Amino acid sequence: MSEYTPFEMIAYTGSRVLEDEKIVFVGTGLPIIAAMHAQLTHAPNLYMIYEAGSMAPILEMGMPLSVGDTRAARKACYLKGLCAVFEITQRGYADYAFIGGAQVDMYGNICSTIEGHNYDQPNIRFPGSGGAGAMAANCEKTIAIMALEKRRFVKKLDFVTSIGFGDGAGDYREKAGVMGSGPYRVITNQALFGFDQETKRMKLLEVKPGRTPQDIQDLVDFELIIPPDVKEMAEPTDEDLRLLRDVIDAEGYFLKRVIKK
Amino acid sequence: MTNNVSSKIKNISTLEYKEKEFEYWGPTPDEARKIMVNKSHGLRDKRHTLKDAVAKFIKDGINIGIGGFVNTRVPVAIIHEIIRHGAKDLTLSFQSNSICPELLAGAMILDPDRVSIKRVELAWWGYEIIGIAPMVRYLTTNGMIEMDDYTNYGMSARFKAAAMGIPFIPVRDHGGSDMELINRGKMIECPFSGKNVYLLPACHPDVGIVHTTAADMYGNARIFGAHCTCPEIAMAATYTIMTTEKVIPTENIRSYPNLTEIPYPAVDTVTEVPFGATPGASYGNYWFDMDHLKMFRSLCEDFRKTGNKEGLQKYYDEYIFSCQTFDETLEKIGYKALKDLKDLDGGQPIILT
Repeated sequence: MSEYTPFEMIAYTGSRVLEDEKIVFVGTGLPIIAAMHAQLTHAPNLYMIYEAGSMAPILEMGMPLSVGDTRAARKACYLKGLCAVFEITQRGYADYAFIGGAQVDMYGNICSTIEGHNYDQPNIRFPGSGGAGAMAANCEKTIAIMALEKRRFVKKLDFVTSIGFGDGAGDYREKAGVMGSGPYRVITNQALFGFDQETKRMKLLEVKPGRTPQDIQDLVDFELIIPPDVKEMAEPTDEDLRLLRDVIDAEGYFLKRVIKK
Repeated sequence: MTNNVSSKIKNISTLEYKEKEFEYWGPTPDEARKIMVNKSHGLRDKRHTLKDAVAKFIKDGINIGIGGFVNTRVPVAIIHEIIRHGAKDLTLSFQSNSICPELLAGAMILDPDRVSIKRVELAWWGYEIIGIAPMVRYLTTNGMIEMDDYTNYGMSARFKAAAMGIPFIPVRDHGGSDMELINRGKMIECPFSGKNVYLLPACHPDVGIVHTTAADMYGNARIFGAHCTCPEIAMAATYTIMTTEKVIPTENIRSYPNLTEIPYPAVDTVTEVPFGATPGASYGNYWFDMDHLKMFRSLCEDFRKTGNKEGLQKYYDEYIFSCQTFDETLEKIGYKALKDLKDLDGGQPIILT
């Protein structure tokens, strides 16, 4: 087994979570890489939506570096604009939202707007919702993807940008007027999380080989549900790494980045 | 926004914010309709220089709707001309953009008496792979501009409602997030199903700026690649300034009317500006110029970190103020760089006939 980087593990795990014959609405970077890997391995009939307006493109020009990249429009089946693709998520065509963010809480709500509590003068301004808020609201299931760090897995978000299960109440999403069923998986380099049906709280599903559930809890600021049957995460094979490194992100735009300490 | 119907966002929100009284940040739907009714709707030759177009329509205090999406078909040539022309207290509205608002923000840093942004209604402001936009960080963390956050669909739907001539549009997002508390939308109970649904006010910019693949002299425009929200912005705005890669004969438009994405009455001026979205991309013509975007971004980041404006000033002097037209900017970027960008697009098919 070859060595792999944290981002390669995230991309590979993201790919494993995606099923064939589904439509995934992807954000820039790791979600695109994960979906391309899935198409090349177990899910040849998985298709992508890119929010600038493209549905089911053929990525023969290389990996798109943006969800508005002209490469993402290549040989699409349907190519209109933002209204068109988001409206079909409201209608129920998109199975997965695949988004990133700066912070996530135990109910799968995500922040990508500000750090600090004052909206009018935040400590740090992030780019904003972009498509993420709409994707998390209306694609059927939300998959979040981020590095496992205590500053990201927080008790309270500074700003709820993308809706998860809110405060955990059974009717939170209904009262919010959104259509999707909500958070499904949170993918990190060291653990894969799901959500408990009853409490809507984040639940540990798999840990990286060599780590214990307690190691993962130590990296998370809220209390995880840790069931007795936590599995080991599958690791990418040499062939998976070849696909990721040589075929999908050959320039290393995303996979060669380092996680900031 | 205060109202009786809401989600349960207040159960989890920790946000401090100023309550906003509802107001339109630009013309009201009635005002926008009146301006459109009073225009000539004939097929007139709308070709003008960009300088004349900007001088005629860009005024202090207006709302400018910016077309394109992040690095794609962004109306950079128009932005350069707006910076040369000068305009204060602007409201900017867009879904996602990179260099256009950054260029205006940089101009504001250099000389707020020439260009200034008062507030922005948006979904996203950054460069995707190239990084977070330094200027939005600087302006917001210093409390220098007012923000109003929506999702990409939210902003697009607001332009769409305006383009449809309706005052608001129900959407299935924003509810249950902090955007519900801070933006100008409103949760209501659907009068038919009795369930909660979020309403967004139409967004009519005073001036829409868009760059298209091809257009005839009347402003009938084709867009290849993703449309982003350009048709909606052009049709929502009371006046639209368009640059286009190529002006094509009207017979071509009439041969394939299904290909027209922006109809002529929505357009007030057309200027042929090849490479008019550089350093952004235009499908079928050229890819985005990563090196140039990185270079500009690093000058902005240097300013944000050190407060030193020298690098920025040099950039604006070189690429904007010392040029009369965008052609002169393109000459400075150079034939080789532009040719490489054209090759990187891969010759994706567009229809001009």
